[in-house]
Amino acid sequence: MAKETFKVLICDDSILVRKKLKEALSALASFEFLEAGDGQTAIDVYKKERPDLVFMDLVIPVKDGITAVKEIKEFDNDALVVIASSSGTQENLKKAIKAGAVEFIQKPWEQEQLSNVVKKFLKKGE
Amino acid sequence: MFTQYFGNYLLNKGYLTAEQLHDALEEIKDARLKLGVLAVNAGYMTAEQTEEVNEAQKKYDKRFGELAIEMGYLTEEQLKELLSSQKYGHLLLSQVLVDKGIMTLSEFEKAINEYKRDYSISDKEFEAIQSDDVNEIINKFIKFEGSKNEKLLKDYIALFARNLIRFIDRDAVIKEVSKLEVYDCQFAAKQDISGAIVLTTYIEADENAFIQFASKYAEEELSSVDEMAEASVGEFLNLHNGIFLVNLSNQGIELKMTPQEVFKDIKVEKLFKVSAELSFGCVNILIQEH
Repeated sequence: MAKETFKVLICDDSILVRKKLKEALSALASFEFLEAGDGQTAIDVYKKERPDLVFMDLVIPVKDGITAVKEIKEFDNDALVVIASSSGTQENLKKAIKAGAVEFIQKPWEQEQLSNVVKKFLKKGE
Repeated sequence: MFTQYFGNYLLNKGYLTAEQLHDALEEIKDARLKLGVLAVNAGYMTAEQTEEVNEAQKKYDKRFGELAIEMGYLTEEQLKELLSSQKYGHLLLSQVLVDKGIMTLSEFEKAINEYKRDYSISDKEFEAIQSDDVNEIINKFIKFEGSKNEKLLKDYIALFARNLIRFIDRDAVIKEVSKLEVYDCQFAAKQDISGAIVLTTYIEADENAFIQFASKYAEEELSSVDEMAEASVGEFLNLHNGIFLVNLSNQGIELKMTPQEVFKDIKVEKLFKVSAELSFGCVNILIQEH
């Protein structure tokens, strides 16, 4: 059987974070990566590509991460969005859950956190 | 970090020259800490008493600790404690200076006592400072004159020091704070924090230090201030501020921040400049209170 490839959208305004996240995820499964540097681009890419999973930063230009999650969930209620942000304040955690995010990863992430996310939302039942 | 502070103190007080300090710091890793220095540092023995024990050792074939107990200068408990105490950097530095004859044990005793007095450091605080407890060091040595939020800014700098040590350079040292009317930045990553407390924060450096800093955080060799270098320093600031906001949030203070940006050759007005010395150069954190 061919190895399953997952389509993942990474939204972060830092090219470094996107690169590191791609490297870290590539060690866990086979991925096709899509990237966005701001919230509006993330929404547009999501609508066009319908990725299996989204990693979303919160503090990003144009439209912030919470707004982007809301709009993605309005478009596709089954969208799986994981917040990966350095600012996991109580307020942001509440807002993220309310907006429909399925997980919150505080930066700097541990490989194990990413592995758990991949197992939980992508490699189901493995 | 404390080794640097104590070394600079000895330098400023004229106990040694910059060259002697530099050479001594180089030799620290090979230094073997002796009981005399430990006993004087702990305040259990005077330098004079240790000299007496040293002299006695020439006559009797006994260990330093054994003689010190026999002569009534140390108790069994104190000896046990000294033997198991940690090899603090400033003690190794002092040992090298004594071994090289740059400082006598009496001068070390005088310096360590002056040091505690000058900074009004209690024994308990000294214990924490010796063990490089960053919070204690920042709290004691860093001042934000005239700030509305001195405690908060100290916390901010203590966290910054810990993040520098964790991600950039194990030997990072926070140097001085200056309050400035205006400062000309070379390369600077900037991020605004808002809410009940409003701050603008920057990490600023010259071109070389900026590139080195970026390379360390990105874990790859960068050679110019390109997109990756800007992203790297910007992301470090973002990470640092994010953790700071999370800590405050856990105390019930909710703040927000804006996306980070990087600028070249900008002027910043009315600010605190905190310098950090790293192995590859100097990096400044700038804070404006609004």
